[in-house]
Amino acid sequence: MRSARVVLVGYLVLVVAGLAYFAALGVLHR
Amino acid sequence: MKRVLRDNGLSLAFGMLFLATLVGQAFAGHADFNDRQLAQGGEQVTLVDFVTSSAFGVDVAENWQSEYLQFFLYIFGTVWLVQRGSPESKNPDEVGLESDRAQRTGRFAGPESPRWAATGDWRTAVFSRSLGLVMGGIFLLSWAVMSVAGWAAHNAEQLGQRQDAVSWLTYVGSADFWNRTLQNWQSELLAIGSMAVFAVFLRQRGSPESKPVGDPHTTTADTG
Repeated sequence: MRSARVVLVGYLVLVVAGLAYFAALGVLHR
Repeated sequence: MKRVLRDNGLSLAFGMLFLATLVGQAFAGHADFNDRQLAQGGEQVTLVDFVTSSAFGVDVAENWQSEYLQFFLYIFGTVWLVQRGSPESKNPDEVGLESDRAQRTGRFAGPESPRWAATGDWRTAVFSRSLGLVMGGIFLLSWAVMSVAGWAAHNAEQLGQRQDAVSWLTYVGSADFWNRTLQNWQSELLAIGSMAVFAVFLRQRGSPESKPVGDPHTTTADTG
């Protein structure tokens, strides 16, 4: 299960970083 | 290493395919953006300009929000709604949150149950809803991000056409925002509804999304 936890964290980081990046693009270009 | 790859094949394969298609979207979106710029007499942009633009941001976020909404609705909806005969549904007599015994929470938790399933207090209440909370939370966040990136992209277009920029509040009431939102929602809802009922009568050998091939159409909640 440890490897699944690593994958879970990978997905969460990807989604949160992606959302933060796209929000920043919106805010910076508004 | 080989074991790790096999044990996590589903999440890793889809994660890799996601990254590959996101790169594909960046290239295709860039080409499409420049085509439209050309038609409207605007300036051409580089790939880096495009992937750091709000136009790219809104295109990605609008799809993310609808996918997370789809899974959130499916997770939440299947607690309360059933489809007799579907492997995606539980049995009609199990509608609702079910008993602590059936869910192995509180004093019915086993020695290997997650710790928060056993406490029987607020932690169990939170853990019991954690999947829906996270999927629903990512949906709301993605939708909010889509609104901000869409607002910036919309205003960039307005300015390009020498029209006034609008406020964020005006944007979330605009045709552009709701067209982007609803065109994604409708497809997700169609896919969920058809999956629930197709799986009553159709089979995919070996898939846990399907019933075993020989199961009668009347069997509900069986997977294999």
